[in-house]
Amino acid sequence: MDWEAEFQAGTLLNNVNEKTSRSTTDRGTSSSTRHGRSTTLLGDDEDDRDVSMAGPSSDPAVDEILEWNIAEEAHLEKLTRHWMNERHCPDILPAEDELLSSLLDHIRRQSEAVQLLRGELSTSEEEHLRIMLVQTEVERIKFVLRSYIRTRLWKIEKYARHIVGNEEMQARLTTSELEHARRFAKLTDQHFHHSVLQSLPEMRVDLDDEPMLAPSMVTQPDLKRPVFVHALTTCPIIQFEDGTSLQMNKGHISLMAYAAAEKLLLRGDVELV
Amino acid sequence: MSETRQFGDLATQLVIESRRSTHTDTLLKYNDSLVRSIIREQRDLEKAADALSDHVGDRPPPALIIIQSAINRNTRCLLAYHSHRVDRLRDLYWSVGGALPHILSTQDIRSKLSPHEVDYLRQYNNYVMEFRSEFSHELDITASITNPPKDLHVLVHVVKDCGVIETELGTIDFQKGQRFMVRRADIEHLIVQGYLEEVL
Repeated sequence: MDWEAEFQAGTLLNNVNEKTSRSTTDRGTSSSTRHGRSTTLLGDDEDDRDVSMAGPSSDPAVDEILEWNIAEEAHLEKLTRHWMNERHCPDILPAEDELLSSLLDHIRRQSEAVQLLRGELSTSEEEHLRIMLVQTEVERIKFVLRSYIRTRLWKIEKYARHIVGNEEMQARLTTSELEHARRFAKLTDQHFHHSVLQSLPEMRVDLDDEPMLAPSMVTQPDLKRPVFVHALTTCPIIQFEDGTSLQMNKGHISLMAYAAAEKLLLRGDVELV
Repeated sequence: MSETRQFGDLATQLVIESRRSTHTDTLLKYNDSLVRSIIREQRDLEKAADALSDHVGDRPPPALIIIQSAINRNTRCLLAYHSHRVDRLRDLYWSVGGALPHILSTQDIRSKLSPHEVDYLRQYNNYVMEFRSEFSHELDITASITNPPKDLHVLVHVVKDCGVIETELGTIDFQKGQRFMVRRADIEHLIVQGYLEEVL
């Protein structure tokens, strides 16, 4: 796109201006910001960096926005991978509490910084463009987060009764998710009780019963569901139930039952696609 | 009712209703009368079963097994019907972004719910709100997850009056027929609930 080239040219130009006006102390906020940006972009000029550090550290918020791209890239990538895994996995994967809270934290600080910058009259046209890009990016990350949380919530409600009686599964949830599962299971039971079971002659059927000749009434994750597995590294050999085995190299994609890929997925050797 | 009715006929009707609801993707009216008649049938079956089991000493007659399985089947069908309905209601709830008052004030939907279902939704809403409050500062988890946002702002057309709304640019009084350029995050829930329409 054109503006990108323009932007590059603009920063270079600024760089030059900066050097010529190095001694002037009354540099505006905006130019120092742009200057900071150019340092991150080019990162080559020792003198330049000194100036930016010595200069009036006008706006910590601005610096924060600049740091975002580099530090959060890895987090975002992780989130995207967990999001895809969660959406493709029939079971509920372990909660990613830390990743989530660090991202949420960052989003909050980011939004505050944006609010601050928007309120300032001195922000230039070009910065407005960048603020808009940051805001859009924040909205998009929020979308992924939301979708991730909702996917988990959907599965939790679906398997609520199963979760209540299964400690191994409970360990994979956050406290609030577990709380929601418990309340939800109770709510659904109550609803069944009020609308059906209490009017029947006697409590013939307990919902936890394993009725003969009929499928269980407690929904459980279908671990045999086929999933597409994408190897991120060279994986240890997978043994299948029928005695065959498979060695996956990096980049290999294969279709298999979820149960076979579960261990590798938890180790982070593969992702679901 | 015809004389040739079999055990489980009514329950089958109920399950067919659930299936129809899935296939046509509509919420059907809660079939109170059918549910009641199945429960009545259950009581009759139960009496018949009791009579049979009292009747003989050592070995239950084969008829008892048939009646027993009819009872089990009916119960299961009843539960399946209700479970299917609450699943649908939850889908509905999320599809309007968790706006329970909106659902309950829409006569068309409200008339299709049983009183228990209204209670269920209310309680469910409480639980979801509690869960949501964990994230409320940064993230509204009830917002839409169907389309990822491409633009920050969106041009909307007001379809129904929805009063004064707080937005990033201050408060806006949305009145029918007007158009606004607003931040998507501020008014997304109004699009979902049908107050605003996106102008493409």
